[in-house]
Amino acid sequence: MKHDPATLEIIRRRLEGIAEEMQGIMLRSAVSPIVREANDASASIFLPDGTVMAQSVSLPLLLGCLLPAVQRLLKQFPVESMAPGDIFAMNDPYDGGTHIPDLSLMMPVFVDGQVVALAGTIFHHQDMGGLTPGSVPTNATEIFHEGLRLPPLRLGRDGVVDEQILRIIGVNIRTADAFEWDLNAQIAACRAAVTRLQELAARHGAAPLTAMMRELVDRAEAATRAAIRAMPDGRWVYEDALDNDGVVLDQPVPLRVTVTVRDDTITLDFTGTSPQVKGPVNAVPAGVMAGAYFAIRAVTGHDIPNNGGCFRPLAVILPEGSLLNPRAPAAVNARTGTVKLLTNAVLGALAQAMPDRIPAANSGVSVVMALSGRDDNGAAFVVTEALQGGSGGSAERPGVNCVSTDIGNTMNQPAEAMEMDAPVRVHRLAVRRGSGGPGLHPGGCGTIREYEVLKGPLTLTFRGERHFHPARGAAGGGDGRMSEAHVLRADGRREEIRSKLSTVLQTGDRLVMATAGAGGWGTPE
Amino acid sequence: MMYEIGIDIGGTFTDAVCRAADGSTRLLKVPSTPRDPSQAVGVALARLLADGGGVARFLHGTTVATNAILEGTAAKVGLITTAGFEDALEIGRMVRAANYDLSFGPQTPVDVVPAERRLGVAGRIGPDGAEVSALDEAAVARAVHDLLAQGVQAIAISFLFAFINPAHEQRAREIVAREAPGLAVSLSSEVDPAIREYERTCATVFDAALKPVMNVYLSRIETILAGQGVSVPLQVMHSRGGLLGAGAARGRPIRLTLSGPSAAAIGAASVFRDAGFEQGVSIDVGGTSADVALIENGTPALRHDGRIGKYPVRVPTADVLAVAAGGGSIAWIDAAGGLRVGPRSAGADPGPACYGRGGVLPTVLDASVVLGLVDPTRFANGELQLRPDLAEAAIRRDIAEPLGMSLVEAATAIHRVINATMAEAVRQMTVARGIDPRDFPLMPAGGGGGLHVAAIAEDLGMTRIVVPAAPGVLAATGLLEAPLEHDASRGFFRSLTQLPEAALREAIAGLTARCAAAMAADGAEADETEVSAAASFMGQGHTLDVVIPTGTDTPGEAIRLGFIEAHRLAYGHTRDAPVRLVELRVVQRKRSTTGAMRWPAHATTPDGTRAATIYGQALDVPILHRARLAPGERRQGPAIIEQADSTTVVPPGWAFTAHPTHLLLEVSP
Repeated sequence: MKHDPATLEIIRRRLEGIAEEMQGIMLRSAVSPIVREANDASASIFLPDGTVMAQSVSLPLLLGCLLPAVQRLLKQFPVESMAPGDIFAMNDPYDGGTHIPDLSLMMPVFVDGQVVALAGTIFHHQDMGGLTPGSVPTNATEIFHEGLRLPPLRLGRDGVVDEQILRIIGVNIRTADAFEWDLNAQIAACRAAVTRLQELAARHGAAPLTAMMRELVDRAEAATRAAIRAMPDGRWVYEDALDNDGVVLDQPVPLRVTVTVRDDTITLDFTGTSPQVKGPVNAVPAGVMAGAYFAIRAVTGHDIPNNGGCFRPLAVILPEGSLLNPRAPAAVNARTGTVKLLTNAVLGALAQAMPDRIPAANSGVSVVMALSGRDDNGAAFVVTEALQGGSGGSAERPGVNCVSTDIGNTMNQPAEAMEMDAPVRVHRLAVRRGSGGPGLHPGGCGTIREYEVLKGPLTLTFRGERHFHPARGAAGGGDGRMSEAHVLRADGRREEIRSKLSTVLQTGDRLVMATAGAGGWGTPE
Repeated sequence: MMYEIGIDIGGTFTDAVCRAADGSTRLLKVPSTPRDPSQAVGVALARLLADGGGVARFLHGTTVATNAILEGTAAKVGLITTAGFEDALEIGRMVRAANYDLSFGPQTPVDVVPAERRLGVAGRIGPDGAEVSALDEAAVARAVHDLLAQGVQAIAISFLFAFINPAHEQRAREIVAREAPGLAVSLSSEVDPAIREYERTCATVFDAALKPVMNVYLSRIETILAGQGVSVPLQVMHSRGGLLGAGAARGRPIRLTLSGPSAAAIGAASVFRDAGFEQGVSIDVGGTSADVALIENGTPALRHDGRIGKYPVRVPTADVLAVAAGGGSIAWIDAAGGLRVGPRSAGADPGPACYGRGGVLPTVLDASVVLGLVDPTRFANGELQLRPDLAEAAIRRDIAEPLGMSLVEAATAIHRVINATMAEAVRQMTVARGIDPRDFPLMPAGGGGGLHVAAIAEDLGMTRIVVPAAPGVLAATGLLEAPLEHDASRGFFRSLTQLPEAALREAIAGLTARCAAAMAADGAEADETEVSAAASFMGQGHTLDVVIPTGTDTPGEAIRLGFIEAHRLAYGHTRDAPVRLVELRVVQRKRSTTGAMRWPAHATTPDGTRAATIYGQALDVPILHRARLAPGERRQGPAIIEQADSTTVVPPGWAFTAHPTHLLLEVSP
């Protein structure tokens, strides 16, 4: 032991506190609806080498995605080239990013002329340009449809954003005001962290502080390795598939993972996964890593401090040109379903080794539904909704109905909020009874929601999953029921939605959606 | 002699403060009686009135309502809701509390009202308040009979957009009254008139479920009062930190939840005021948690998004940050070999190892005993004899040996970690909100606050500490200081541009009249009216509170300008953009007339010295009894100041001065 244990713990707590303060700053003043209702923003503190030190309590998907972004920014702008007050940012999915609306922003923490830490935030902006408002076009077939790409940039100096870059961004996106506002929230969060970390360094000394942060990382690594060593060695395969890519609707997109546990390491090999696809469901490595990080955190236990050391025992093999490591210019905006699929697959493989510790598959779906149109004054509006299925049954208990799982943890839209914001009526919000897979501990049920358009036309984009492949049961439990959705036109025609759809709804049309149930656990009694 | 009596029920002890007309004040702690909490109230009252005397005011704070929700012991309740939304209560907002837990349980009160007791009826109000389709009255009647057949004792009614137009809910209540006379009913439009159906339904369901329970409970208290010859009306503390009559409390029992932290914060504000401070931070340290409250302008800050356990309960309550750090917090070694303290607590049963009740895990209190900060023979006024041998064994086995430290080093490390956790909570309430805590005095409360307060203050650069005369009964003290208070609110969720000034004036007048009527029912007239709004920019989810000058002709403009400025103050940036009115609120209060309190002056501890370890330094520390400190005399630390309900550690580098209402500690190197 190098450092006194109380001081180490005090430092760990303080770093978490700073990350929480950053998160609070972003959430409280955000105007992007997806951040405000769904908490789609995250904050972290990094060592100068890009190792994550502390993370706010927020979406696992975003927390994971910030890590590669900071690595990439560091490659472009080595710490030696940084000056106090520098603001670095990027969103390019083909250069360390995840999807275009997620902008990563980083500021260095200087003490006595040295960078002692980095403060980073990632934030889902309301619009970054591209084919459709919100910049997540389901019908995109190349990255150029998806909005404005920002390669790793020095976005500002001395704490001030470069006006010229801001103007370039402003003319390329639909809601420049909101972007600037939310960008300020990201910067304010990083600046707060800079001040706090400087105070911490002043108290403990910069060098001892850095040394203690490194020790915390090393300890987390050692603990994670110990937890992996306690797992059975072996190799397990799990195969699953996306319904389709959203563009070519009659073709499932297979995913395959081989999980190897050997001694104190875990390797995830995605060889055998589909080549990259035409539609926007490709996931760039940042998103894949977020899923892998979630899985390793979830299976190695909560008693291990959360930092970059936890991820060192993990190796991931992503075949080039595949669904999970696409080559430009493949479209990548709709990667959430893919990341959920691979997270579930990794857990599904490990469940074969540890059926008592890992639940059956969750519903594997977080439907993203957006309605857009123009209000009476001609102003464009978008309302979005993320609708969940259930959690899987486990050795401990039945699954939970209608709840966000694994890499997601986003709130739904209250019907009242949606009706206030858009000319729709919500007719039904219900548990889809009986949809959870049977078992000793049944899977959680999916959700039913039904909307009527009061004043068309509205553009509907619908991104479902598990319409053709059920969430599987485990340890003798049964599969969950698959998702279903349809549009009921005002004249009575019924149009089935085959997992993904982009269409126009007219006055009186209805959208009915039912998400998949989760897998059950154990042989039913 | 006439007395004012405040009795506050806590998890372990029921605390009483009794002020005589001449200002002399007594405090009393009796064990709580969880099975029938009113019993402890009876015991305390009997002891206070043993030598005769009458009661001029009787004020009561209770955790009965909160506990009934947490423990699932509220009444069997049914829910009538808009057809199609029967499951809204079960589905909630679809989020889970623990990110990385793969096998979590339900996150919504699905067990409180299972599916068969959630019944939908046709009839819709639209977002503009207009009726979309008529209420199916026959369906309401059928639902009532269905629920009665299932044995419900209360019915909650929650319809979409009732916070804008309550007509359907009010009609449904009439039907319930016709079909089931006397059955408890709660309407969402009255319990929590604000947007978001899940949160509003949650509050309404709990309100209904509490009505039968709290009715019985309050009747028991009234019977006890009558039996002791007390004829003044019972007044109860509500979540906002004010008092209301038992009649109003029966009508809206959800308002009795979360009242404990508010009472303590009111007590803290009053002690700060007596000490000459209009602002400060209090930290109330109990067995399992520490509550941090911020006092500004002489009153505790409020929040409107309270939670009970996993569930949102939108009642206004003191903005208190509770962290899992208390005397019972367990010290342990994590998987990475790091020292952790909490969040698990040994609680009151079995309690810390030194309780000798079978607890074997080392806790913060065990560390305090090992360090010599707590006298094991006088803990809780000597009611519990602590076992230093068991404290030492637990710390040695679980902490000192694995970490290769001495016993005292390990105990010091436990204290350092828990102090940092508490300091972190103070930081989140101040620094993280743009407030510099160095300008604020810090106040310890609860049995354990005084053991940690100086270390917390030093961590944050705070240089003054105000120790109340009776830190262990701050909530009961707060009861005497709290105003009689009624409030009313109305939800809007509309752009101010769509709300004519006349309509807003009328709404404010209506809410004010409702408060005045409630005041009159408690036999009082308000001496203070406060009108405020919750507002946001269009598109934002978080609201800020804006005070509206009373009597203004242009409340809308006042909200708009006030909000734009409030946003600048809160977030450092603002803009002239359309503002959304989310809620209007009116509060009326009549201030407490309680005069100064003089606390008892009998000392039970002999003065002397004790070997103790403070900040890792072994010292021979003077032990002083609080009651023997002469007012105005300034002394230098180190010292340990003992009193019946708590212990205050004054480290080297601090000086202390006794005052009639408090003890002031100041940095004095």
